[in-house]
Amino acid sequence: MKKSTFKTLLVAFLAISMFLVGCSSKTNQNSDDEKDPVVKEETPAKDTLVYGRGGDSVSLDPISTTEGETFKVTENIFETLVSFGEQDTTINPGLAESWTVTDDGLNYEFKLRQGVKFHDGTEFNADAVVFNFNRWMNGNEEQFPYYTMFGGYKADEGHVIQEVTAVDANTVKFVLKRPQAPFLKNLAMSPFAISSPAAIEKQGEAYRANPVGTGPFKFVEWKENDTITLEKNADYWQAGLPKLNKVIFRVIPENTARLNALVSGEIDVMDGLNNSDEATVLANENLQVLERPSMNVGYIGLTNTRKPFDNKLVRQAINHAIDKQSIIDAFYGGTAQPAINPMPPAISGYNDAIEPYPYDLEKAKALLAEAGYADGFTMDLWAMPVARPYMPEAMKVAEVIQASLAEIGVTANIQSVDWATYLDQAKNGEYDAFMLGWTGDNGDADNFLYTLLDKDSIGSNNSAMYSSDELHDILIQAQTEVDEDARNELYKKAQEIIHEDAPWVPLVHSIPLLAAGKDVVNYKPHPTGSESLINVEFAK
Amino acid sequence: MAQLAKKTTNIKVVPVEEEKLVPPWKEAWLAFCKNRLALIGLGIVIFFIIIAFLAPIIAPYDYKAQKLVDRFQAPSSQHWFGTDDFGRDIFSRVLFGARISLWVGFFSVLGSVVFGTALGIIAGYYGRWVDAIISRIFDIMLAFPSILLAIAVVAILGPSLQNALIAIAVINIPNFGRLVRSKVLSVKQEEYIMAARAVGMRDSRILFRHILPNSISPVIVQATLAIATAIIEAAALGFLGMGAQPPTPEWGKMLADSKNYIMQAPWTLFFPGMAIMLTVLGFNLMGDGLRDVLDPKMKQ
Repeated sequence: MKKSTFKTLLVAFLAISMFLVGCSSKTNQNSDDEKDPVVKEETPAKDTLVYGRGGDSVSLDPISTTEGETFKVTENIFETLVSFGEQDTTINPGLAESWTVTDDGLNYEFKLRQGVKFHDGTEFNADAVVFNFNRWMNGNEEQFPYYTMFGGYKADEGHVIQEVTAVDANTVKFVLKRPQAPFLKNLAMSPFAISSPAAIEKQGEAYRANPVGTGPFKFVEWKENDTITLEKNADYWQAGLPKLNKVIFRVIPENTARLNALVSGEIDVMDGLNNSDEATVLANENLQVLERPSMNVGYIGLTNTRKPFDNKLVRQAINHAIDKQSIIDAFYGGTAQPAINPMPPAISGYNDAIEPYPYDLEKAKALLAEAGYADGFTMDLWAMPVARPYMPEAMKVAEVIQASLAEIGVTANIQSVDWATYLDQAKNGEYDAFMLGWTGDNGDADNFLYTLLDKDSIGSNNSAMYSSDELHDILIQAQTEVDEDARNELYKKAQEIIHEDAPWVPLVHSIPLLAAGKDVVNYKPHPTGSESLINVEFAK
Repeated sequence: MAQLAKKTTNIKVVPVEEEKLVPPWKEAWLAFCKNRLALIGLGIVIFFIIIAFLAPIIAPYDYKAQKLVDRFQAPSSQHWFGTDDFGRDIFSRVLFGARISLWVGFFSVLGSVVFGTALGIIAGYYGRWVDAIISRIFDIMLAFPSILLAIAVVAILGPSLQNALIAIAVINIPNFGRLVRSKVLSVKQEEYIMAARAVGMRDSRILFRHILPNSISPVIVQATLAIATAIIEAAALGFLGMGAQPPTPEWGKMLADSKNYIMQAPWTLFFPGMAIMLTVLGFNLMGDGLRDVLDPKMKQ
């Protein structure tokens, strides 16, 4: 008996020591890797910012996607010819110091900043700009989905840019086929950031994971679905900037888990703060709440090419069946605005004369009956798997909608899938109805109406597959219209058409919340949803 | 040597029991009744079964009726267990949740018992390469952590309660298969089986009339305990969003939906959590009691 106990103990002891040996070599390695920089950083001032967010970037080549998590990172690696104001969408110099426009709105000439270098050491000049634009216009929707902002691709009739030429090393000239009112605003958008031609040629397909720009931070490393690390660009053209030495974007999908990480100091800034958690953050003296100026819309897309949503009456019925205000009260802390149109009221051209579809289940049932669906139908309702600024708790909102739809006899099965697949399948029109949203990229009505609902945008951002020739004509006319008032009239008309056809259920315009440690200063959330961290620093 | 010894004892035991004229089930029942913990377990299980059947009658509210103005009401005389983030009555949801959990528990285990027993008998009785193949498949399945395997199965079939049930059934098959196989291996050496073979009885008759009834008692014990595990696994899948889909009031799903509000409204987690804990406890106590009664090795 004694002997066997002793033996057991011995074996157990050996086994445990094996485990410990196994563990220790690993932990040693880890601590070797991680300790060094930590020690270095903490002795002087803190200069590494960890940004916690809900989803990973889809790509780091900004032109290859339309997705916001990408821009959050690339906004720091790249720069655009012109740039937005710190917290608005006014146009300011960027890589171009100055520019001139001819009166007909067809010729733009940009004077480029001199002495700017890409992170790979190559020179930023007019040829680099021409190279980038040629790359994009010769591509297609698959490769460069956002390039549709310029009316399509090189071979397309609607394509706005006739040619881009280098006048001299520091002057670029754009010749347009027709005027495009939001042209400068488009150029300032994150996807149209200038990449290093040398890097693109060298990397080929791999460029999407090895970005090289001119921005304040250099790309270091991307661990998929985990972290993206950037470090200070020591040769940045603005002296003394950026103030941070290192930025780490970390993915923590769950909003609450992310908040816990913030509370424990693992991260310094988080986006996607649940409205229900705002009070918790305010009560914590080490934390602050940051509000992002609202420029977004959260909506349910009703795929117009799929039964039964190919029927306008059904789409209108769904619009009548959803109680936006109670969704806002429950899941947006009552701070969001119920959406009536596909664009937020702050944007010029907003039509405030449009009467929203009232929440009226009887009316909804009547419309369904008229459409031939008196007994209702069954559909899939897709809900985003991640927290988005326009919808921090999509699954919950989906459940509310599911319950509302049940009252008019419509059975909605809630579905979800990972974020990249979700966007892809929605884009291809594979969903009956899906929840999605949009944060404006340039503060122009065109960036909502044309980008999201024009027939040109099917395959990029018009996931509802809504196609209206009447709307298309108006939107194109509005793009070329240089007179502000006339242009706004056109957009108002466009919103009437969209309201009548009801391709979506516009849900909310939210005020997205971020939370940060109290020591984070100069963090200015931008209405477009992605901001450069160039001025951010830690309080001493 | 050991087998020989067993054979002889068995031969003696069988006629002795018949002489007593007390049916074995009655003897087992009496022994079970003496085990107080087992009776408590049985009581809990019966309690939840009754709840499951009477849920529509007892429940004061529609389990899926949302009332957003009434979110996060603390437990009160109106809402015994409070309300969740949609203003739904948690008491009603827990009651209806009992139906789902028991349903998944019973039927997934029934599935694994049927398939596991069938495979186990085949493997044990025919031996050789049939046994080798079936046993290796079992080994492979047992090498995976069960919840991981369940997730894999659900990932292939798509998330739904029914697929979660199938997944749980699948992952439990090898447990029953191995159990039955080992039992069959010993039973088929018995003289009465040899005798049956000698008189030319068909394989199927030997299997189902003689081997199966004599191998089933450990399966019953294992099944009772497996229901408890199955309920937990169903809750885990629900928690991961791979089981019941909204608005189904599955307990695990209720936990997942409420976990963000643990500070704000702890009752949204407490009651479904308690329900899971109690049913599982009930089945475990009952299973332990049954094992004491039915397993001859434990009899003393």
